[in-house]
Amino acid sequence: MYESPIREVLVEGGKTYTDVSNDICRPLENKATKGWWIGFIVSALVLALWIGATTYTLMTGIGTWGLNKTVGWAFDITNFVFWVGIGHAGKLISAILLLFRQKWRMSINRSAEAMTIFAVICAASFIVSHMGRPWVAYWPIPLPNAFGSLWVNFNSPLVWDVFAISTYFSVSLVFWYLGLIPDIATIRDRATTRMRKFMYNFFAMGWDGSARTWNRYELVSLILAGISTPLVLSVHSIVSMDFATSVIPGWHTTIFPPYFVAGAIFSGFGMVLTLLVIGRVVLKQEEYITMGHLDAMCKVVMLTGSMVGLAYITEFFIAAYSGVEYEQYAFINRATGPYAWAYWIMMSCNLIAPQVFWTKWARSTPWFIFVLSIIVNIGMWFERFVIIVTSLHRDYITSSWAMYTPTWVEFSILIGSFGLFFTLYFLFVRYLPTINMSEIKAILPKKQTQH
Amino acid sequence: MSMKNNNQKLILGIYDDPDKVLAATRNVRKAGFDIKDVYTPFPIHGIDKAMGIQRSRLGISAFLFAMTGLLTAVVMMVYMSWGDDWEINIGGKPNLHIPTYIPVTFELSILFTAFGMVATFFIVSKMAHGKNPTLMDIRQTDDRIVIAVNLHNTGDSDAINKIFQSNGALEVKERDLSI
Repeated sequence: MYESPIREVLVEGGKTYTDVSNDICRPLENKATKGWWIGFIVSALVLALWIGATTYTLMTGIGTWGLNKTVGWAFDITNFVFWVGIGHAGKLISAILLLFRQKWRMSINRSAEAMTIFAVICAASFIVSHMGRPWVAYWPIPLPNAFGSLWVNFNSPLVWDVFAISTYFSVSLVFWYLGLIPDIATIRDRATTRMRKFMYNFFAMGWDGSARTWNRYELVSLILAGISTPLVLSVHSIVSMDFATSVIPGWHTTIFPPYFVAGAIFSGFGMVLTLLVIGRVVLKQEEYITMGHLDAMCKVVMLTGSMVGLAYITEFFIAAYSGVEYEQYAFINRATGPYAWAYWIMMSCNLIAPQVFWTKWARSTPWFIFVLSIIVNIGMWFERFVIIVTSLHRDYITSSWAMYTPTWVEFSILIGSFGLFFTLYFLFVRYLPTINMSEIKAILPKKQTQH
Repeated sequence: MSMKNNNQKLILGIYDDPDKVLAATRNVRKAGFDIKDVYTPFPIHGIDKAMGIQRSRLGISAFLFAMTGLLTAVVMMVYMSWGDDWEINIGGKPNLHIPTYIPVTFELSILFTAFGMVATFFIVSKMAHGKNPTLMDIRQTDDRIVIAVNLHNTGDSDAINKIFQSNGALEVKERDLSI
């Protein structure tokens, strides 16, 4: 139990166990609302844009993008790192906060984990389309082949990335599904239509709430959380090594792994806030995702925003201190060169903007939190753009300096990927409980459960 | 034993408060009756001790799966870089350079642990997709907690009923469970 006279309650409104089931099952048991249909159709239309632009790229080749010989990585890898970063908050909330016994995670971990999975799907789509020849996308996987026992290069961070991201995706999916089973069983036992009974019965795997099963289940959840914690840290560290193990000025820095992980948590929480500030009102879940939850998440955003800000400044200092003129130029060029506008967007969105969360007013005003979460999303996208494009466009040989301008295809894929993400999210909201009912029931204050 | 005949007689105590369930479970067990299981919509802290359930050994399986993953990764990478036909030379960089082998080894250990342990959990708990559960009460996944006690002796019914009632059961009923 989580009761204390000085702590705010985690679930407001004096809910009983029945109330929890009714409230959380309502969005998926009632008819779809008009708002849901509008959201779903708009998302699906944006998804159509993604399908169109991606198909065009795959049919024609990545010549449809604005890449050139100097800037060989740009929008696509920016989008990839952006989405993978967003995919980190879910695991952070469900795994690291579980180990730290932060019980406020319980009403947000389900939707954050769903977000993780959908964001990693978006990220993976960028890797595949970036390959140029996606029909050979299986080549980084070590398979016996017809090329004379030619195996993959295990010294390459790109191969590590293949292992890291596929492990991360599949482990996240298993962890999410395991957490859903008791709730799916609850929905199964409330189901009124035959189709509903059949589907939820199929996925509930015969769950009956036996205390013996719960005993094992809790141990499995704990161990999964325990191994997911280093996993989540390793994944973005490895993504950062795609850059850090190269010899490009601006990329070749040892600060990258912790800096990328902090950035991932920052952007992930930004996206969780974007979704939940709206979702808690639309799904009428204000009593479960309380102002206390928003407050805690704002504090995490402020902390991690300051951490990435510190990393930006440290990078600058180390470049100056290193005495390497290429390194120094890379950073001077970031802040004052042709892409300085992107650099200052990044600085103001990620370092400066979250500092408003020092004030209680900012942390307790939902519309303001929403605006700020969008700013964080924009800032974190630009962070990756700055790291990738400004480092590449001017490196050692001045004769190969170039500028990069994205094409409409790249913009369509970026915007379209939000369609992919939100279409999946709307389906999730419609068919699965967005809050973990069994965990919430376990933390209800005792006096509340009595009628 | 009850397994011999096809019918299993149960007596069920239905509750809505985990604290009362804990007390009732302890008392039923202390009186020497055979608790089949406690069905609950959410995990109850301490119920395993009250029922006398041993700590699960799934932790050991997790360790074994992690070791399997680790070995698989090391054997795979050594074989592919060195063992198969010729030593792979990429840019003249050192082969079998241990630090660069760590990420893949780590990821595969995690992957094997997660999948191995979850699969073991499903097998041990006899869970499978589409399996129809035997529910004691339709509300046991919603807001009711059910203590199910095996009734080996019809004469015990009154004594168990008494324990259930004195610990605040909402309802007590008997049930035949055909196996």
